[in-house]
Amino acid sequence: MENMKVLVVDDEGDFIELFVKRLKKRQIDIIGVESGYRALDILKKEKIDVVLLDVKMPGMDGIDTLREIKTKYPLIEVIMITGHGSVESGLQGMIHGAYDYVLKPFDLEVLLNKLKKAFERKRLKEKA
Amino acid sequence: MIINVILSLISANLLIFIIFLSKKIQKIKNEKCVLDQQLVQSQKLAAIGQLSSGIAHEINNPLAIINQEAEISLHLLDSTNLKFEEQNKELKDSLSQIKIQIKRCREITHRLLSFARKNDPIIQQTDVNALIEDMALLVEKEAKLKSIVLIRKYSPELPLINTDPPLLRQVILNLLNNAMQAIEKEGEIFITTSFNPSKIEISIKDTGSGISKRNLDKIFDPFFTTKPPGKGTGLGLSICIAIINKLGGNINVESKEGQGSNFIINLPIFYTF
Repeated sequence: MENMKVLVVDDEGDFIELFVKRLKKRQIDIIGVESGYRALDILKKEKIDVVLLDVKMPGMDGIDTLREIKTKYPLIEVIMITGHGSVESGLQGMIHGAYDYVLKPFDLEVLLNKLKKAFERKRLKEKA
Repeated sequence: MIINVILSLISANLLIFIIFLSKKIQKIKNEKCVLDQQLVQSQKLAAIGQLSSGIAHEINNPLAIINQEAEISLHLLDSTNLKFEEQNKELKDSLSQIKIQIKRCREITHRLLSFARKNDPIIQQTDVNALIEDMALLVEKEAKLKSIVLIRKYSPELPLINTDPPLLRQVILNLLNNAMQAIEKEGEIFITTSFNPSKIEISIKDTGSGISKRNLDKIFDPFFTTKPPGKGTGLGLSICIAIINKLGGNINVESKEGQGSNFIINLPIFYTF
């Protein structure tokens, strides 16, 4: 997972704060923001490899943000985070190119493994 | 006398041989029939895929322009002082409706494009049991609300396979969702994995309404749906089979009306283009 840069997007500030702290402890370069708009701003400036994206957010929701990210930066991999597990949004996410889904609350090791796989995929795409 | 015995022996053996041959021929004929059907299906899909992605691509641009114009109009309405408040509101409602309908169209064009996506799969080593379980957890909450129970029978020794994980996730989620819709309320979905030296098999079986013989041939056709208008695009299963074919596998269906359906996916363990 060397050199992987992660962006986490969730409207719950407390969650972001704790999550960023935990991943930094694991030596992962990570930024956290609280909305889809802010996420798109960050992507303009920073070279991000994997985005962790909450499905349910006020304003621009997770699916809209995913669509924007995938149109503008097709190489970036996106993992959707969901608390309620809606099948319809799950299907939409997969159709619009999400790499994976993770249900809240999640086990950190499971998530780290998903991040690793998403990053591996991005590298494979870059080589192709 | 001896000649007679020999002749009857020969003819008996010949008869056995002919029966053996005709059985063999019948078997080959059946296999050919299945292969022919699969070939026709995949050719049909390829042709429709090409056509629909072309149309989707062409329609996306005008859709984007219409959307932009609607947004500009909404913006203009906000910044101008219109005398008639009621008309103003009606105009806004109608422009918002245009935007909603554009979103609906875009949803369809995106599905069409994903159905015919040209880029090659990205192959990663994948734990299929874990991948299926993730999707099972995603549908389980909704399933519980409808008293639908998911019954897992994962093979603990299932080998890792080389495949494209997000594409496979899309297929599994689609099939689980279909199974749930076929049941509506109260029932079971059996999720089973197994393998042989070259392939793995995933079966998703439901106790739902099943598929009539008449519809069974058409379920993989794009735009075929038994749902009321607006409730389904009829693209789900055709996307599934296009994906699985792209991953070197196949989907077979066993179903009887009123007795549920079983969707069986075969995937190679070692993927080759």
